[in-house]
Amino acid sequence: MKKLSIVITLLILVSLVLSACGPKATPEPEGPVSFEGQTLRFLTIQPHNVAAINLAAWFEQDTGAKVELIVVPYDNVVEKAVLDVSSGANQIDVIEYWYPGLGTMVENKVLDNLDQWYIDNAAMIKADDFYPEYFDVFTKIGDSRYGIPYDGDLHVLWYYKPLLEKYGFEPPKTWDEYLNICKTITEGEAGAAYGCAIMGAKSPLILIGSFMNRFGGYGGSFFDAEGKPVINSPENVKALEDMVEQAKYALPTPSATAFDEALGGWFTAKVAMVEFWTDLGSMTDDPASSKIVGQWGVVALPKSSGDKGRVVAPINAGFGIGVSAGSQNKALAYKFLEYVTRPEIAARYNSVIGGIDPVRKSTLNDPAFVTFIGQEVVDAIEAAHANAVAWPTSSIWFKLQEPLTDNLSLALTGDKTPQQALDDTQVAWEEILK
Amino acid sequence: MKEKIERYMPKLMVLPTFIILLIISLVPLIYVLGISMTDSTISKPFTDFIWFENYKQAFKDEVLGTSLKNTLLFAFVVTAIETFLGFLLAYIMRFEKKLGQFFRTLVLLPLFTPPVAIAMIWRLIYDPNQGMLNYYLQKWGISTAPIAFLGQTELALPSIMLADIWQWTPFCFLLCMSALQALPKEPFEAAGVDGASGSYIFRRLTLPMVAPNVLVIFLFRFLISMKVFDLVYMLTFGGPGNSTQVASFYIYRVAFKQFQTGYGGALSILMLILVSVLAMVLTQGRELIMKRTE
Repeated sequence: MKKLSIVITLLILVSLVLSACGPKATPEPEGPVSFEGQTLRFLTIQPHNVAAINLAAWFEQDTGAKVELIVVPYDNVVEKAVLDVSSGANQIDVIEYWYPGLGTMVENKVLDNLDQWYIDNAAMIKADDFYPEYFDVFTKIGDSRYGIPYDGDLHVLWYYKPLLEKYGFEPPKTWDEYLNICKTITEGEAGAAYGCAIMGAKSPLILIGSFMNRFGGYGGSFFDAEGKPVINSPENVKALEDMVEQAKYALPTPSATAFDEALGGWFTAKVAMVEFWTDLGSMTDDPASSKIVGQWGVVALPKSSGDKGRVVAPINAGFGIGVSAGSQNKALAYKFLEYVTRPEIAARYNSVIGGIDPVRKSTLNDPAFVTFIGQEVVDAIEAAHANAVAWPTSSIWFKLQEPLTDNLSLALTGDKTPQQALDDTQVAWEEILK
Repeated sequence: MKEKIERYMPKLMVLPTFIILLIISLVPLIYVLGISMTDSTISKPFTDFIWFENYKQAFKDEVLGTSLKNTLLFAFVVTAIETFLGFLLAYIMRFEKKLGQFFRTLVLLPLFTPPVAIAMIWRLIYDPNQGMLNYYLQKWGISTAPIAFLGQTELALPSIMLADIWQWTPFCFLLCMSALQALPKEPFEAAGVDGASGSYIFRRLTLPMVAPNVLVIFLFRFLISMKVFDLVYMLTFGGPGNSTQVASFYIYRVAFKQFQTGYGGALSILMLILVSVLAMVLTQGRELIMKRTE
């Protein structure tokens, strides 16, 4: 009996050891995962705070998970994300990133590769529904995808009807007309209002955006077909010369005018024209912040008068959403990513004031969105999509944009001529790219 | 044995503090020094050892030159004005009791306000279109058109200086007040009995006696001013052009906007050397003045 019990004990032990060494059993199929009580940390930008608050509330309602918002200035989001992962702090789960920083973020291994996620969730993602102008440029580096498009940020020209009508002007079609309107109104109003507002504050997103609005219309570009820098091309120089000239009549003063200052002038009827993103209409029709409700119009940006002139809609700003490589709660992070990606949720957060512009075709056709933003703006967005021009997204871009910003600012203040400013930028770029 | 223990015990007791201080101050310094000799980026620290290439690059860097010039100008101007104003206010208020208490509380408010809030206040004051300053300048006929204080090359740095003076004069006032109140009363009473005039007492007694302390205040403030960042970041972002680009802000741009941590490290070390040299020069100057006043 004693021997038998020893043998049985040994057999049990051996079987336990063998079972531990053997292949793991297939896990039981998982039921619906509960995120109740969990917290997701979402890095967003200050201008999108309201949209993020709404999104957080809906997500919590639908999943039970709380969303803690980490809100940073719009030009700090890439640096915040890179530092979070590089330092090992890993305080962020989901990142809203400015798309020209995508290459930098991928190089610094800040974002998860989403190739498999795209394959696994193809039916939900509906990639064909994204505007192609945004889809690749907001998400793809090399052959891989690292995010989803979230906020499509094209620039169009907004005008304050009473001021243009007072001087008998139609919205400008060329930059020459724009200058004439701006100059006439500024001189005519003698300080009570200005013909235009030009965002020229020393921030890459702001200043390069305003420059790109112009050089795009002149047929200029950052690089030639072979990828060599051509920032001091005659088209670009002409565009900057015109910008400097226009700045003389703009809301004082372009060098100190960023997002907030331009909005301040626009909402208080002090500005006749402003280049801005496509959500300005809904913000302007909010009587809580605007004095010019219903008195605005929107058209495409002007083009140059010459042969090379073309209508463009630069994607100044524009944001994607990705999962942080340092996320401590990947399951919840991917749940949030999936939530934000869903077309019906996209239509929902685009239909409230929050600074988000549509990236999906279905959003632009959504009746609630059309009612919210107005048919005129929908038409302007659709027209602009055909002329969308993106910023570079390579990892070197964050180095290149610094000397360009410095020199554009120096040209705007008159410390350098436009030619000199762009020549100096060209030299700096060639040095960086060596 | 007991003697030995007694002799070394104080050193042993100090040793943990010494080690902690060494770790806190030396380790980061060695880290930055090390990284400054590499071609590091933020996600690839200590890659490609390049010896002094970053330092060579710094000496050719025009923006760094502009930044250092702006930093020194900023630091000297604001420190001189703040120390002067702080001393003046403290001298006026030194005997004031009831009003002095109220005034002290009032004058210290900017010192307790967060720098970001101070920057926001001044941004609103300077706003060309809705700002208080432009409103009154135009109302009183001093200017006919709005002035872009933060948008003009020649006005941007002085505008930041003004905000800094508003923020930091209370600091100098507080320290000058303490220095004045700590002066012995007897020499002043004797001078009064001898019939010395107020200006004579100020020149011959107050100033020489308080000068060493005021110079220390100047030194402290100067070193703090060399590190100005928050006001520049919030008000102008270094612009327009490079007119308000200061060294700490430029280092931030290099290290955290372009992610060139190697080069940023080299700039930090150069800045440290510059500040240390200036601190030594100022300390020597203070000692010279002290010897003369003795």
